[in-house]
Amino acid sequence: MIKRKKNVFVRFITNPKVQPFLSVILPVALGLFIFILWQTQVLHKLLHTDTFTLPLPSQINQIIGDNIPKIITNVKSTVLVAVIGLTIGSLIGYLIAVIATVFPKWGAGGLSIVAAFNAIPIVALAPVMTNWTKDVSKDASVRSMVAKILVVMIVSIATMSVNAYRGLNDLPVFSLDLMKSYAAKRRIVFLKLRLPNSVPYIFTALRVGVPSSVISAIVSEYFAEYITGVGRQIRENIVIAQYATAWAYIAVACIIGISMYCILMIFEGILLRNRRS
Amino acid sequence: MSKAKKILSSKPLIMMVWFLVLVVLWEIGASNMEKTKRTPENILPHVSQIVGSVTDGKLVSNNMTATQIVLKSAGATLERALIGFLFGSVFGFLMALLMKLSNLVEKTIFPYLMLIQMIPIIGMAPIILAITHDIGTSRIVIAAILTFYPVATNTLAGLNSVSKEKYELMYSYAANKWTIYKKVLIPSCIPYFFTGLKISAPMAITASILVDTLQGDGGLGCMLSQSLKHAMSIYVFWQIVFFSAIIGILSSVLMGFIEKLVSPQMRQFRQSRKHRSKA
Repeated sequence: MIKRKKNVFVRFITNPKVQPFLSVILPVALGLFIFILWQTQVLHKLLHTDTFTLPLPSQINQIIGDNIPKIITNVKSTVLVAVIGLTIGSLIGYLIAVIATVFPKWGAGGLSIVAAFNAIPIVALAPVMTNWTKDVSKDASVRSMVAKILVVMIVSIATMSVNAYRGLNDLPVFSLDLMKSYAAKRRIVFLKLRLPNSVPYIFTALRVGVPSSVISAIVSEYFAEYITGVGRQIRENIVIAQYATAWAYIAVACIIGISMYCILMIFEGILLRNRRS
Repeated sequence: MSKAKKILSSKPLIMMVWFLVLVVLWEIGASNMEKTKRTPENILPHVSQIVGSVTDGKLVSNNMTATQIVLKSAGATLERALIGFLFGSVFGFLMALLMKLSNLVEKTIFPYLMLIQMIPIIGMAPIILAITHDIGTSRIVIAAILTFYPVATNTLAGLNSVSKEKYELMYSYAANKWTIYKKVLIPSCIPYFFTGLKISAPMAITASILVDTLQGDGGLGCMLSQSLKHAMSIYVFWQIVFFSAIIGILSSVLMGFIEKLVSPQMRQFRQSRKHRSKA
């Protein structure tokens, strides 16, 4: 590129040695800046609100500390729904992708129908599932749980099946020809080529699936019969105008989302270690 | 013979068959419910009953038929979802451009874009309603936030996907920054931008409906919960469920259609077809 004389500032920020520091310092600085605005109530003036609806971070922190046992029960219920739903949904989704790969003609069309499920709003799914699971159990907590898991499951099926199908079929160029030259059977092609090829795609699906499973769990809690879960607590506390408690649960929901994503990242790092070139 | 075979194996037909399979499964379930339950329409009504309720002129509440209620509340919900969606997509696109223009901005904002994906924003809907005090505004705000980040991340990925050769070509033309953006970067990020839009359009609608359920002020979500509490015919509920499902899917399809209309990659294709039709 063109060599031009740059001033000290530009030279500093484009220095490759400074880059890694900048990518840590800048986001942290922004976070701190917002935090200070929040704590000093400048943010409240900007949003035209008060410390009652938007409590200070220190207040929220205190409430989380005071209600730990109650928060843990709610977190357990939400995480359980999200994880079970995601696991079952991903397994079924992968199975659908496998079937679609084995029967390409009919499978691809069926897959588009499954993908369309992705566009169905969760708010429409959740009450239907609540209705359908009325007979599952006499215990309201159990049948609400099943309904919520079903919602998360349906959402996860769509994400996983589309991505896994791509992984099973977007093969490296010439790899199929190579298998053909080995006179490999379809089963062998599937086991040695398609299956390993789909692993990174599974993680792509999970990267979308993990946050959306938490979101689906939270939204389906709104429509469930039994009052439990982080999402429901946010809403219940707003209804009785306990905004500080609601904020505490929002903070908890964010922590759930972030930590589940981090766990996924760690798994991905371990399992895909050999794939990084 | 081969033509018939071609039609039989065409994708739309296969999708139709699968769709029919789903309908048949639904009907089997509905027939089962009819035999075993006292109020089958609450759990699984026949497809014909739902379709019938759409055309039925019976007044359900407020001197309106079920269809009128659904359409009127859909107007309120979708209008706000659309405004939020437009705000979010414009803002997301500009943010991606800004991040591409300045390395510092990218470094500052990008971790937060990643973070916001992991956070259940919809869970914040009640609190945003509490801050804004207005259901319309909170619908717009939530829809805008949910649209913003898929659009921003996807557009940025598109801007970063431009190959080195293209930059080198532009350099050999002595193109300035503005020209590079206008001729290379923005056109090549358009497909990515639309991927973001396709993801976020159903999300914006979901969010808008969800915000409705929080307050009794018309809107699809509000009618949905009232119908569930049997304040009006349960068929309003079923209509809303199917209506929102169809709207959700259509919104994604619509984005694909608009993409075909505006994207430079497709323009060539359209022109060649126009020439052919003239000749």
